[in-house]
Amino acid sequence: MSVTRRDFIKTNAALAAATAAGVTLPGIDKAAEADDGIRWDKGVCRFCGTGCGVMVGVKDGRVVATQGDPDAPVNKGLNCIKGYFLSKIMYGKDRVTTPLLRMTDGKFDKNGEFTPITWDQAFDIMAEKWKAAIDPEDPKGATRVGMFGSGQWTIWEGYAAAKFMKAGLRSNNIDPNARHCMASAVGAFMRAFGIDEPMGCYDDLEHADAFVLWGANMAEMHPILWSRLTDTRLTKPGCEVHVLSTFENRNFELADNPIVFEPQSDLAILNFIANYIIQTKAYDEDFITKHVNFNKATTDIGYGLRPDHPLEKKAKNPGKGKFHKIGFDEYAKLVSEYTLEKASKMSGVEPEKLLRLAKVYADPNKKVASYWTMGFNQHVRGVWVNGLLYNVHLLMGKIAEPGNSPFSLTGQPSACGTAREVGTFAHRLPADLVVKVKAHRAAAEKIWNIPPGVIPPKPGYHAVLQHRMLKDGKLNAYWVQCTNNMQAAPNMNEEGYPGYRNPANFIVVSDPYPTGTAVSADLILPTAMWMEKEGAYGNAERRTQFWRQQVDPPGEAKSDFWQVIEFSKRFKVEDVWPADVIAKSGHAGKTLYEVLFANGQVDKYPLTELQEGFNNTESKDLGFYVQKGLYEEYRRFQYEGPKKGHEMAEFEVYHQTRGLRWPVMGGKETLWRYREGYDPHVKAGQGVRFYGKKDGRANIIFAPYEPPAESPDAEYDLWLSTGRILEHWHSGSMTMRVPELYRAFPHAVLYMNPLDAKERGLRRGQAVKVQTRRGEVETRIETRGRNKLPRGMVFFPWFDVNQLVNKLTLDATDPLSKETDFKKCACRVVAA
Amino acid sequence: MSISGLVIHTLPDKTHAVRDAIAVMAGVEVHATTEDGRLVVTVDQPDAKKATDALVALNGLDGVLNAALVYNFFEQDAGEKEDPQ
Repeated sequence: MSVTRRDFIKTNAALAAATAAGVTLPGIDKAAEADDGIRWDKGVCRFCGTGCGVMVGVKDGRVVATQGDPDAPVNKGLNCIKGYFLSKIMYGKDRVTTPLLRMTDGKFDKNGEFTPITWDQAFDIMAEKWKAAIDPEDPKGATRVGMFGSGQWTIWEGYAAAKFMKAGLRSNNIDPNARHCMASAVGAFMRAFGIDEPMGCYDDLEHADAFVLWGANMAEMHPILWSRLTDTRLTKPGCEVHVLSTFENRNFELADNPIVFEPQSDLAILNFIANYIIQTKAYDEDFITKHVNFNKATTDIGYGLRPDHPLEKKAKNPGKGKFHKIGFDEYAKLVSEYTLEKASKMSGVEPEKLLRLAKVYADPNKKVASYWTMGFNQHVRGVWVNGLLYNVHLLMGKIAEPGNSPFSLTGQPSACGTAREVGTFAHRLPADLVVKVKAHRAAAEKIWNIPPGVIPPKPGYHAVLQHRMLKDGKLNAYWVQCTNNMQAAPNMNEEGYPGYRNPANFIVVSDPYPTGTAVSADLILPTAMWMEKEGAYGNAERRTQFWRQQVDPPGEAKSDFWQVIEFSKRFKVEDVWPADVIAKSGHAGKTLYEVLFANGQVDKYPLTELQEGFNNTESKDLGFYVQKGLYEEYRRFQYEGPKKGHEMAEFEVYHQTRGLRWPVMGGKETLWRYREGYDPHVKAGQGVRFYGKKDGRANIIFAPYEPPAESPDAEYDLWLSTGRILEHWHSGSMTMRVPELYRAFPHAVLYMNPLDAKERGLRRGQAVKVQTRRGEVETRIETRGRNKLPRGMVFFPWFDVNQLVNKLTLDATDPLSKETDFKKCACRVVAA
Repeated sequence: MSISGLVIHTLPDKTHAVRDAIAVMAGVEVHATTEDGRLVVTVDQPDAKKATDALVALNGLDGVLNAALVYNFFEQDAGEKEDPQ
């Protein structure tokens, strides 16, 4: 290593950083161009929902470097620590490179050892198990087969899987891990606006005068958005940041109004803010008269537990989501109960802080952007609490314009673009359609050219229900792709693990690595990941972004959608559809592959359209440009389906741009929806129109405080909350394999208040057992560091496969969204 | 060899304190400071482990709001182990 080269590289590093910071370095104009043999091309980060652009450097068939894409509007050249080590996530030493089946003496054995087999053998045994679980004449469809997918699937992967399940196998038992993450946000969007996803965009980070974080640790989980927020806070006079959380995290360093509240009392705080706005007559009367309907929610709705759980039996209206129209006066009366005094008492927050927060929202001259992630969504009243925040923004008309932005952040790179938009939820179809509406099923059946009656009208099993049904032996052939759900799902001891190991079930897991989920399965399929395939993600601000295949996958690894499409060749329609449906279809004797994929639409684009210089493994295997075919067929839902507002541009456009935010009309993206001048669907003179609802009005829906499913008591005396940390992403299946990130944070620890530790005779660093009614896990105590816990609460991150937090959690969900509350259950901590 | 370029956001009243703290860290240099408290920094370390330690240390400095990475060059030297587990 010559000194000259080292200096050259360092100069480049300093220059890149200076450019990102918008400053020039004296004496250095421009780094010399070096011919280092690296091919650079645009890509998208593999981790969170921010959707940062990264430049991917390939040399000798390997990704050797990545850097923040200076042309990407999301991150403008910056990366967080995880993005910085992206080039290493594909090269963990334990990549799965061949299908592995549990076998004894050459035969499948549920208790056998994982043994390498061929793809043919893998699809053979899968087809055998799937067909045994499917009765083509069952009027309910194929309820014994299921699939669990991902907000990390590329757009076409989710689309192909949803189509295979719903249009092919006649099963709605497909659900994504986004159920654990975004389902409450989706539920609230649909109830309030009739269309999913935020109306604003990341540009609000520069336009807002005040920021409020409601249960979002942006500093650690969305560091790039946090750096944009930080910029605004430090440069815009009068800008302020309010941070609400159940414990003090890194965001509090920038907080002008730091608020630590009692778990679940966010419901009371939000109703207090609405009450304050009404009492002080600060609301925008013109806006609410023209654009809002008032409603109240059905109450006492239970906790999404098994129906025989005492809490479900006790609930008056378990799972009921119906809301009823009321007038403004009745709404005002309902929130009037939530006085400052009451909210302060319930939340444990000083009245001055709550008042300061309420005043920010009530000030007509302050533009407010509100952000939330899992604090709101993983909440037994997640749909309600999302909705209560919309109530506040709607009362003030602070919505759908630059800087005034209630914004649901996402945790996965394509929770929006894939999981939510292409119909991978058990109740959904592409482009916001749902299975239970006949006209929606008919639209899907028409676009897919399948006979009426193939798509079952009843929603399938959602994530938590899938584990229960596996345990009960009612779901028997099950395929998990692109997610580590054994580690991620709640109550592993009582539901997930017994479900996977139930002898009545055959479990298949597709993953690049032998995760906890993979090794709990019967068959592991080796998966191509990230830059090993041509892909597309959609981020939290509705931005769709594409990349080309940069490198080849190792060994026999194949992408998730290649696996689904190949597996579809193993079924004839006679194996899965009733005889009378086949008779009407013109598809008799065909394979599902021919019906679903070689259907004249998906196979429409020839290989000659592939970009020269880049491989495309799946297309070359299948003989047509499969990504383009799947995408263009999906796009028909946006233009021919019964709901407008999801329009995207043509396939090639996204290979040329750094992404576009839908709806894209006439080649132009939409930054703020529902407002004239920004959104092409709002006509001149309408001003604002919430066109997801027939009458163009958004719903304010009152919902009261209701208690959590489990709270600390004499026996289990602490709140247990779980979540993420900066260095690791979700279950750590990728980041724990990056040596630098592993080293930065190798083992989970239990964050605890020092006085709580002292009271139990425990010291910092001591080995302890965390115990709940479901199980116990050993860890070590941390009483200092980035998270400062209040008395009575502990935080235990879930990235560490050797400390499985979900042995402890309760599978209580929001009964409307079916999303688990990972933030609230009761535990105790004792010396190990 | 591991060389990185970073933009570090600091609390405005702590920018100088952060600069001073960085000045004593081996292999870490501040190249520029913006008026709004952002530092342009390079981290030059002999191996990935030391680089990680430096990044974690920077992130943990009092007054640092955010350390965003912009550029990294990494070359594994002979004999350096990569596998953590």
